[in-house]
Amino acid sequence: MPGQTCYFSTRVILSALLLFLLFGCNRQDGGGEVPSGAVHLEVWAHAGQEAERTVLREQVDRFRQHAPEIDITLVFIPERDYNAQVQAAAIAGDMPDILEFDGPYLSNYIWQNQLIPLEGLLSPEVIADLLPSIIVQGTRGDHLYSVAAFDSGLGLFARRSQLEGIGARIPRSSSQAWSAAEFEGILRALAQSDADGAVLDMKLNYGGEWFTFGFSPILQSAGADLIERRAYQRSTGVINSPEAVAALQRVQDWIRQGLVDPNLDDAAFVTGRVALSWVGHWEYSRYREAFPDDLVLVPLPDFGRGSRTGQGSWNWGITRNCPDPQQAADFLHFLLRPSEVLAMSNANGAVPGTESAVARSPLYGIDGPLRLFAEQLMGGVSVPRPRTPAYPVITTEFQQAVQRIRNNVPVREALDRAAANIDQDIRDNHGYPFKSDQ
Amino acid sequence: MATPSNRTNSPALDGLRREQDAPTAWIFALPALAGLIFFVLAPFLLALFLSFTNLRLGSPLPLEFTGLRQYTRIFADTAFLRALQNNTVFALMVVPVQTALALGLGLLINQPLRGMVVFRTLFFTPVIFPLSLVSVIWILIFAPGPDGTLNSLLQWLTLGAWEPRDFLHDPRLALPAITVTSIWQGVGFQMVILLAALQSIPAELYEAARVDGARKRQQFVHITLPALKNPLTFVILVTTILAFRLFDQVQIMTRGGPNHATTTVMYEAVNAAFGSQQVARGAAMTVVFFTIVLTLTLVQRRIAGQERASS
Amino acid sequence: MRCGNVFARVAAYLVLSGMALVFLIPVAMMVSGSLKPDHLVLPEAGRLANVVPAKPTLDNYRDVFARVPFARYMANSIFITGTIVFCGLLVNSLAGYALSRLHWRGRKAVLTGVIALIILPLEAIAVPLFYEVTLFGWRNTYLVQIVPFIANAFSVYLFYTFFLELPEELEEAARIDGARPMRIFFSIVVPNSQPVFAAVAILTFLTQWGSFLWPLMVTHSESVRPLPLGIALFYTLPPLQWGDIFAFGVMMVLPVLAVFLLFQRWFVQGVASTGMKG
Repeated sequence: MPGQTCYFSTRVILSALLLFLLFGCNRQDGGGEVPSGAVHLEVWAHAGQEAERTVLREQVDRFRQHAPEIDITLVFIPERDYNAQVQAAAIAGDMPDILEFDGPYLSNYIWQNQLIPLEGLLSPEVIADLLPSIIVQGTRGDHLYSVAAFDSGLGLFARRSQLEGIGARIPRSSSQAWSAAEFEGILRALAQSDADGAVLDMKLNYGGEWFTFGFSPILQSAGADLIERRAYQRSTGVINSPEAVAALQRVQDWIRQGLVDPNLDDAAFVTGRVALSWVGHWEYSRYREAFPDDLVLVPLPDFGRGSRTGQGSWNWGITRNCPDPQQAADFLHFLLRPSEVLAMSNANGAVPGTESAVARSPLYGIDGPLRLFAEQLMGGVSVPRPRTPAYPVITTEFQQAVQRIRNNVPVREALDRAAANIDQDIRDNHGYPFKSDQ
Repeated sequence: MATPSNRTNSPALDGLRREQDAPTAWIFALPALAGLIFFVLAPFLLALFLSFTNLRLGSPLPLEFTGLRQYTRIFADTAFLRALQNNTVFALMVVPVQTALALGLGLLINQPLRGMVVFRTLFFTPVIFPLSLVSVIWILIFAPGPDGTLNSLLQWLTLGAWEPRDFLHDPRLALPAITVTSIWQGVGFQMVILLAALQSIPAELYEAARVDGARKRQQFVHITLPALKNPLTFVILVTTILAFRLFDQVQIMTRGGPNHATTTVMYEAVNAAFGSQQVARGAAMTVVFFTIVLTLTLVQRRIAGQERASS
Repeated sequence: MRCGNVFARVAAYLVLSGMALVFLIPVAMMVSGSLKPDHLVLPEAGRLANVVPAKPTLDNYRDVFARVPFARYMANSIFITGTIVFCGLLVNSLAGYALSRLHWRGRKAVLTGVIALIILPLEAIAVPLFYEVTLFGWRNTYLVQIVPFIANAFSVYLFYTFFLELPEELEEAARIDGARPMRIFFSIVVPNSQPVFAAVAILTFLTQWGSFLWPLMVTHSESVRPLPLGIALFYTLPPLQWGDIFAFGVMMVLPVLAVFLLFQRWFVQGVASTGMKG
């Protein structure tokens, strides 16, 4: 079949040509003029929402003008599975010079000997200006390993009109938070005049790390926790303590009684189906757009030992790979300038990472609508997620426990199982021993 | 199965021939063999080795041997056991339904009507979509609430009697939802194979049967099915193997939930290794996976071989 | 009889068209979603009539190119997949030929081994393979995305079964004339095996084009990452930008569609002829 062969081969050859043409034409990477003798630094960041990425790109551009002898290459890594990708690179020794990572994973990176201490590289004024929550998150022992340009806020957004309608008081600070019993009363009162009886949105549709971030404060507020914080060796008796079981039992009851909206379309609050939304700072702009005059921010309820809330977001660290840590620290200094911190905060709505920026923030300054978030982070109301290399297992187990509890598995059983698995992992890893200088 | 030696004209020369091509044969086969050994066999043996240790991703601690601990743990883990169950249920759903559908479509297309090639291409189109993309599209179709495509379609079909459901988060509907997605993506491939086999059945056989008075159903049972025995066996075997490899859709659409209703062996293995960073545990799971599928394959081939021998 | 025939024909067309419609709805949703503004995609998913966008817009396509270096990802995918396919055709067909036509000690053992390896998917060996390639220092290159996938047990098997059924006369004639096996292979066997080459090419292409987990683990630079990782950049926290994702999806599928349409005839022939061996 010579004719067909010719035809076949022609197509094959044309395809090959097209292939190499396309490839050949695209060889060059982007990038402008770089002065010779420049220091090259590679920065990895998560590919978040568009506004965040745009601002970060602009910040890198501004930094280039500020310090042309430092050539920054910005690499965006998909947000989903971000940590897994970084871990994969870490094993191969392929780490960047400056790494962005989710705060709770810090201990993991320190244990793996990936990061260097920052206190000698950053100016004391900048460090002193950082929010206390960020210092707590980034510190291990005597060293500061990471900083952050922003932190997260967690609370209850509510429709003021509906709260006033049932005569509920509106707490203005964490010390005034509703007790759990009071909160339940409010839920029931709201449900009476609600169409489907569901008045609270807990973003159950998110899943993943949200469950740990959003709901572990419940444990802490009840006097329990995910793990004991003295040596981070034992979870049994802590995550499944009677207080923990009682607190999460309350939540399971709310779900069972239909007070919690499953929020499948992620729009329960903005469409007015619910009056309360248990969520982080990131929903503020959407909620404000829906209810510009009826939105109020309230602290999470007090389950016994005071209202607690979550903290921790994307942190920056300098890796052991970095050929010039001081220059890398210059980049971090730049990102922590008040104007830059505010630029990022305006883009992603998060709490600015430095107190000077908070003071100037329209959202988080005194009289700002989200002032409560800043106060919680500055006032020690927020609790960092457990700072241990065991964190990946702790969060996985707690997330699964929450899923089970939400699906009506007995609370005790779900928490017992999580405790057992966490403790087993810690034993398997010999308690995650650190070197003395880490 | 035909082998080279069967086809020679001089069996007496077999012994001589058996090795004469050796140098050339090794040259021909070496690149592929080297690739398979380095990049498929060696990693599997490494996984086997790792399954007896406690390796954790990126751990600074020295490696330890833990014997069968990983295996005893995974077989005591409800998530893993559920995964095994899910894979089996999934295979039992997909294989018959997808094969029957492929056969049905093949039969429909195998008619002397115009435009059949167009239909063949249309049904094959989903096969060219990467599974990751297919999953994203079907997330939209399974969207909860009355706006979701499937929900509104079912509401329309049942004249409003259908209550909108969140398929991907319903413990009973999630696995069937993934099954539907997989069938949609895979049936075109099987159909093409079966169609080609159907088209190669000589028309005279059917003519003779019709003249003899056989009805359509009898023609199907006595002519069509026997002629399809080989391709059907092939298609069933491949689909079964693929059913146990189920991963992409679970990763993107349900993340193994709700409550492990859709988790699979591969999903548990990948998450153990990359999510919980417990590499040794993931390795043990893949060894179990390989053993199960190998056994199934051998069993299926034996059954098919026996049937071929007896028919 | 005539009427019955016409009725049967119409019925066949109706059923086929109905099924085709059902099959194509997801495809249509993707295309139409790519032409709608992001916030309309989800709410409009419910009604079939909404498949035609009220105000089609190319914004999503523009977005994709603005947000990610799409051309780069596309070029990478084409290069990586193309190289795997081409090299694979060469390497696996030679092995398949050796197993089916040549006589050598160990042939049977190797054949059994190859068949056993068909079962192992990439996910099962991804982590150990990852450690292996890390040792070689291949991370974040094209090499690491190409070389491990050139040799493929299933392709070898397909070639093996196909070559078995080739009539031996042509090769015999050349052998008697004294031609070496390499020559016989390239000048006689290959030209007569277009169906299997097309089938293996397309199957390999389809598998590798959508490969996600492996590149995710072994690469981080845009300069070497393929399309599926490009689309992953759009998987942020909710709310997802469906329009952009679908625009990306459409552009991702078009080359595969093109390849398939080009080689369709041989592919069907090839797939059919190998499938029949069982």
